[in-house]
This record gives sequence, C-alpha cells and structure tokens, in this order.
Amino acid sequence: MNAFTKVIVDGILRGLKTALMLLRVMIPVYLCVTVLKHTAFFGVLAGAAGPAMRIFGLPGDAVVPVVTGIFTDEYGIVAAMSGFAFDKAAITTIAMITLCFHSIPVETLVTRQIGMPAWKMTVYRLALAIATGVFTGWLAGWCF
Amino acid sequence: MDTTWSAIFTEMGWGMVTMVLNLLKVLIPLMVGIELLLHYKVVERIAPRLGWLCRLLGVGPKTIIPLLVGLLLGVTYGAGAIAEINRRTPLSKRDMALLGFFLFGCHGIIETTYLFWVAGASALFVSVLRLLIAVLVTAAAARFFRLAETRKE
Repeated sequence: MNAFTKVIVDGILRGLKTALMLLRVMIPVYLCVTVLKHTAFFGVLAGAAGPAMRIFGLPGDAVVPVVTGIFTDEYGIVAAMSGFAFDKAAITTIAMITLCFHSIPVETLVTRQIGMPAWKMTVYRLALAIATGVFTGWLAGWCF
Repeated sequence: MDTTWSAIFTEMGWGMVTMVLNLLKVLIPLMVGIELLLHYKVVERIAPRLGWLCRLLGVGPKTIIPLLVGLLLGVTYGAGAIAEINRRTPLSKRDMALLGFFLFGCHGIIETTYLFWVAGASALFVSVLRLLIAVLVTAAAARFFRLAETRKE
C-alpha cells in the first residue's frame, strides 16, 4: 500500500472510530430530547424560555439545543436539533450561538490546562454568543 | 397512549438512522481531509506566507501555527499545538489572550461548517460570518491592548 492510500484508509478508519465515539453521546441526547419533547414539562420549559429566545428571533423550542450545547459538543447540538423541525434561519442562528458557547465544562478545563485565563474566556464566549445570536437572528430573518 | 408511544418510537428509529448516516457523511470525508492536511504538512507550509494576517490580528508570528490549526482543524488540535509551542518558547500573555479571542469566536471551521450545513444551516453564515466576527473582535482587542500599553508608558 503506498503512502497516499494509507492516508486515505487511515482517514476512513478515523472517521468510523470518531462516529462510534460521538454516537455514544448523540444517541442518548437525541432519545432524551425526543421523549422530553412529548411531555407536558416541555411546554412549560419552552414557554418560559420563549421571551429569552425571542431576542434571537428564535422559537421557544430552541432553548433545548442551546442549553444542551452548553454541556455537550457540536454533535450533541445537532442531535438535540434533529428532534425538531426548525427552519433554515433558526438552525443558522442556533448554530452561531452554540458554536460560540458549547462544551463549557470540558473546554474550560482545556483552556486552563494550556494556560489561558479560563473564567475570563468563558465570560467572553457567553458575551460573544449573545451578541452574535442577536445579530444573526436579525440578519437571518432578513436573508432567508 | 399506546399509539402515541409507537409514534414516538417510530420517530426515534428513523431519527437515529438519519443521524448515523449524516454523521458518517460528515466524518469520513472530514477525517480523510484532516489526515491529508497533516500528512502533507499544509499548515506548516502556508504559515510563513501569512505575515499580513499576523499584522491584521495584531499577534506575534509564533501564534500563527496554533491559530491556523485551531481555525481549520478544531480546538482539540489547536490546544495541542498551543501546548507544544508553550513547551518550547512560551507565547506572551497578550498573544495567548488574542489567540483565545480568535479561536473561541471561530474554530474547527471545516468540520463545523460541514456538520451544520448538513443539519440545515447556511454554510455562508457559519463559515464566513463567523470568521469575520472572530477577525474583527481579535483585531479590535489587539488595538485596544496596544493603546492601553502606550497610555501606561
């Protein structure tokens, strides 16, 4: 096997391995979100979060991927989102918010590990996520 | 009640199948791409030509490799690159802060754009707009730091 083929095969194997690793988180998240969505508690949660989500031009349901994203990674966010039928503008806005503010417990530890001021960075991420969310919500509503 | 549950289970079953297929669709080409980038040392090759980017962002030249690695490949690789550089010649506090501002604003741009595009987001927003915001914030912060320093002196 030449070097190029080896690189390709390695890539495919890494892809499959990573998929298996990610699915261990994604499947439970997706199952919980789908069950949660059909409970009465969910209506209350979405109703309570409604006003907060409205500043981003998002429906109340969007609180589920946004809050899930704080604790999981990008893949958890996609898993949580796939339980709902959001439109393109909403998916884009949720993406922009959560891409800034996700995996907070894990990434805060990594940030400290490499010698960055972890708390300040987390506050920065939250502020940037909110600002980006408001801006994207407005722009996406206007574009799509 | 029974019909509701069977509807939920059907939804879950199909949802999981779609999720697994989408995930494989994203991860296999992505990982092949990353392996190629690493094997041909693409980042190391383009880094020397990016002096203008350092000046724009107001960071030192050593910062460019962890910045590109984090931007293109994601925070895990980026953190690895930062740890590696810090072990040899530590980055200044200022460069670390700017690197954090940039990378937490925008990292893993290939992976996340592709993933969220498959999920139904606008690829243009998730890539270009996010990069633009990160560049603006970092460039502004660098100028603010410089201003604060000159004022102190």
